[in-house]
Amino acid sequence: MRYVKLSIENFSSFFNSLRNWGKVYAPTKRGSIYTFQEVHDQEEIELNYTRTMLPPKKFFVRPREKMFQLKNGHWENRSNAEPIVLFGLHSCDIHGLKILDKVYLEEPIDPYYKARREKALIIGISCMPDEYCFCKSLGTRFAMDGFDLFLHELPDGWLVRVGSVRGHEIAWANEDLFEEVTDEDLRNFKEFEEKRSKSFKKELPGEGLADMLDLAYNSPVWKKYAEICLACGNCNMVCPTCRCYEVCDRWINSYESVRERRYDSCFMENHGLVAGGHNFRPTRLDRFRHRYYCKSYFDPSSGYNCVGCGRCDEFCPAKIEHVKVLEEVRGSLR
Amino acid sequence: MSENPHQSYDARILEMKDLTPREKLFTLRFLDPEVGEHFTFRPGQFVIVDMRGFGEFPISLCSSPTRKGYIQLCIRKAGRMTKFIHKMKEGEIVGIRGPYGNGFPMEEMEGSNLILVAGGLGMAPLRSVLWYALDTAKYEDVWLFYGTKAYEDILFRDEIVHLMKHGKAMGCKVKLAYEVESPSCVYLERGFSDRVCKGVVTDLFRGEIFDVENTYALICGPPVMYRFVIRELLDRKLSPGRIYMTLERRMRCGIGKCGHCIVGTSTSIKYVCKDGPVFTYWDALSTRGLI
Ligand SMILES: Cc1cc2nc3c(=O)[nH]c(=O)nc-3n(C[C@H](O)[C@H](O)[C@H](O)COP(=O)(O)OP(=O)(O)OC[C@H]3O[C@@H](n4cnc5c(N)ncnc54)[C@H](O)[C@@H]3O)c2cc1C
Ligand code: SF4
Ligand code: SF4
Ligand code: FES
Repeated sequence: MRYVKLSIENFSSFFNSLRNWGKVYAPTKRGSIYTFQEVHDQEEIELNYTRTMLPPKKFFVRPREKMFQLKNGHWENRSNAEPIVLFGLHSCDIHGLKILDKVYLEEPIDPYYKARREKALIIGISCMPDEYCFCKSLGTRFAMDGFDLFLHELPDGWLVRVGSVRGHEIAWANEDLFEEVTDEDLRNFKEFEEKRSKSFKKELPGEGLADMLDLAYNSPVWKKYAEICLACGNCNMVCPTCRCYEVCDRWINSYESVRERRYDSCFMENHGLVAGGHNFRPTRLDRFRHRYYCKSYFDPSSGYNCVGCGRCDEFCPAKIEHVKVLEEVRGSLR
Repeated sequence: MSENPHQSYDARILEMKDLTPREKLFTLRFLDPEVGEHFTFRPGQFVIVDMRGFGEFPISLCSSPTRKGYIQLCIRKAGRMTKFIHKMKEGEIVGIRGPYGNGFPMEEMEGSNLILVAGGLGMAPLRSVLWYALDTAKYEDVWLFYGTKAYEDILFRDEIVHLMKHGKAMGCKVKLAYEVESPSCVYLERGFSDRVCKGVVTDLFRGEIFDVENTYALICGPPVMYRFVIRELLDRKLSPGRIYMTLERRMRCGIGKCGHCIVGTSTSIKYVCKDGPVFTYWDALSTRGLI
């Protein structure tokens, strides 16, 4: 890894230079929520944000996207990707993208996702946890890769980790904005990380978790929560790793049709419904439990399907807390 | 092939044949000979049929890769899109993408006996296995246990009856169970009293003993059927690793992206579309919700 320093004074020049790489999207505040939006001015950004409602997946797995357009009985590809800069991603969201990569870039490659991913520049930024964060328990609180640049807050600027060839290119093009890292910067970096590590309030003990959850398949706790759950699917929409999609052909006029895909949610009753009316997950209990199992699955090559971002907790209208559910289910084994 | 795995290829409907009032057999050929040439598959795999402008649906290949130049799909009129394809005409074009899924391990099973257990529409993918086994003649005895609702529901009836009459020379034994009595069934039963009976598919196991060391069972049918058939096989000491079954789930992409076909729990998650649709009973023991 290469490390450089960006001082506070040079931040706005650096930020403005990013527009050379594409449209810049960054966290902004709308009402009481944060959201990634296109920004033109440094003033619009909220660098000290907690979490956006929709995670950065929305740039790659679009909430709704045209895949094909029907012309003379044949599908024409509708993929479109433009260069973008995603500025200010937290470590957990970078891990979230890595999990999506695993799905969409594995053979057979999804060309829509790939095109957009290749054209996106990812710039991470360090953060402090709030009461919902549990990324520390899941090993996603620090990103070792998956970004082009990563900015770590220092009292007088940022320690910048350069994570890719493109990251190097940016550092190269902006050579005069960056300085060498000093011993003091390193001390501050270390201090920040230590302080951050101590600030986590929520913890999910991981030892044997997968097995214990599996053993607790018939736990009454699932039922208790399934009864509170509204089955609204919010938790799926806001999750950086949820990516079920539904496909639908839609006629525009009598000659033209489009094939679209859009977010789907495993809380919806028809998620597992097949012809003849047979449903593989007929009850809300089945669907509630399925989501938790899917999120808690541990893939030896990419980890859990949950990165501990806390979105599902913050945006659940029924105030169901992810970690609490898992803890109670595990506890019910006794 | 295409850069985009979601893109289907044109295929012409060469022939449409009524198998039952609900099921039709579609014989298709790819328009582009090169695509047809590259299209190889193993029994148990499926394709996605693309009704451009109306949607897509997964269907098992019911012909055998040993018979080249065309593919066959047996499609039940089950809802919106399958109703639509039933209304199409010979000569018309549909989109096909695939083949998808793992299919049955035909090579691994060479030299062994095969017991095919089909329930209803489950006959479709198993017909591919049946043809393949008979065409290649690389297997010992091939048994087909087929359970249907009524005489009118027997898929590929001509082929089945033909095999009942003449299968012996090919090492093929066909047994049939029906649930609803009719003159045709009684007539069939009179002709093949040892192989046709009223009852469910598990009744066909009565009195049969297998060489458990050298036999594989391949099952396909409605969800309720699996547990009962598996019990019969386990009772006869067939190893769970030799029990293969092909499963159905809602599928959208067929390639492990859309998430609809995911089953399992925190310790084992499977995509029915790409890890399956063929699984062994060992898989079912380690992945909850598979059957
Ligand atoms: C691996 C596999 C192999 C299959 N093989 C065969 C076969 O050989 N012959 C046969 O007749 N049927 C087969 N099916 C079932 C077939 O896919 C459904 O009957 C068909 O999708 C129904 O579509 P529909 O629009 O007519 O029905 P509807 O009931 O109108 O369907 C409503 C919606 O649900 C979707 N849907 C319904 N059932 C399924 C399903 N099982 N999988 C995915 N989406 C579904 C449809 O795409 C549709 O958009 C198979 C299914 C799978 C998963
Ligand atoms: S957001 Fe909460 S209420 Fe809505 S489906 Fe998820 S767990 Fe249930
Ligand atoms: S399950 Fe909840 S905490 Fe985990 S990644 Fe998804 S939204 Fe974040
Ligand atoms: S059908 Fe889409 S993931 Fe299996």
